[in-house]
Amino acid sequence: MPVSRVWLVIGGMAVATYLTRAPMFLALARRPLPPRVRLWLRLVPLAVLPALAVPLVLVRDGRLALGLANPALWGAAVVFVLAARGVNLLASVAVAVAVVALLRALG
Amino acid sequence: MTGPAAASSGPSGGALRDGLVASLALVPSVFVYGSVFGGLAVQAGLTPAQALGMSVLVFAGASQFVAVPMIAAGAPPLAIILTTYVVNMRHYLMAATLAPSFRGFRRRWLALIAHVINDESFAVAVARSRPPDAWVYLGSAAAISGAFVAGVAVGTALGGLVERPERYGLDFAFPAVFLALVAVQLRRRSDWLVAIGAAVLAVALALVLPGNWHIVVAGLTVSALGALLLPLDDTPEPAGTCR
Repeated sequence: MPVSRVWLVIGGMAVATYLTRAPMFLALARRPLPPRVRLWLRLVPLAVLPALAVPLVLVRDGRLALGLANPALWGAAVVFVLAARGVNLLASVAVAVAVVALLRALG
Repeated sequence: MTGPAAASSGPSGGALRDGLVASLALVPSVFVYGSVFGGLAVQAGLTPAQALGMSVLVFAGASQFVAVPMIAAGAPPLAIILTTYVVNMRHYLMAATLAPSFRGFRRRWLALIAHVINDESFAVAVARSRPPDAWVYLGSAAAISGAFVAGVAVGTALGGLVERPERYGLDFAFPAVFLALVAVQLRRRSDWLVAIGAAVLAVALALVLPGNWHIVVAGLTVSALGALLLPLDDTPEPAGTCR
């Protein structure tokens, strides 16, 4: 992507993100949001993050890579279990990255 | 009085300091998180100025981690921007909760303060008092934003040092961060349902849709379905950190 285009993307990201922060804040909402809307906003990251991560792990070149020879699959299992057990986020990620690097070196 | 408040709510140096001190425990991890972002962004092909500019202008770590590999892969700009928007939609919840505490502030300051809404400061301010104190929040936001941007600056300097990042598995750091962020947020059984449903739909869509549209489509569809069909939360505040 050309440099100027990257700045355009960054500008668009900045505007999009500001639109998630400012409107409610400036409106000084006195009443809480409706419960279903609150629930939805809480669920969005819970849906978006797996929607991002899992295809990165399981889809390779437009095909499913479910085999045990896929290093990312092992890395994903490691980071998920460590983080779920309360291990610090960066430590979990570092261990998973090391596992993936090791499996790639061996494979 | 030099603070941003109008006469009705004077600035409170004590609360400001409280917020700052309460956030110090988070400063090292936010700093490291920022430096990981800076390093990976530079390896993915962003210039240090772009990585730093994004961190100042967007200032939302999770969405920045999401955007970098998409930029590197040459995804359509609109897809990247829309994905950023969806990843950051949780800010609506935080902004709505914080807003009443800032009554009496001048609008131009509010417009500026809105930009530094972040998960960590929200958590610190809400943990201290309900409703959260505006000045505790501001003190925390100062500490967190400073730590994040400083971390990114250091990371961009270090990131250029690693030559073939995929050799060290560093490209896997992106999905790893996302998975760790999900893992810590899964509390109820219904959370698992939403996360697994989104993952399955996203994989299916990724096999048929071009670009990265599966992220936005699966994320919005499954979260909306969950919000319509699942029992309502009993928790009054948004749970969590998604940084």
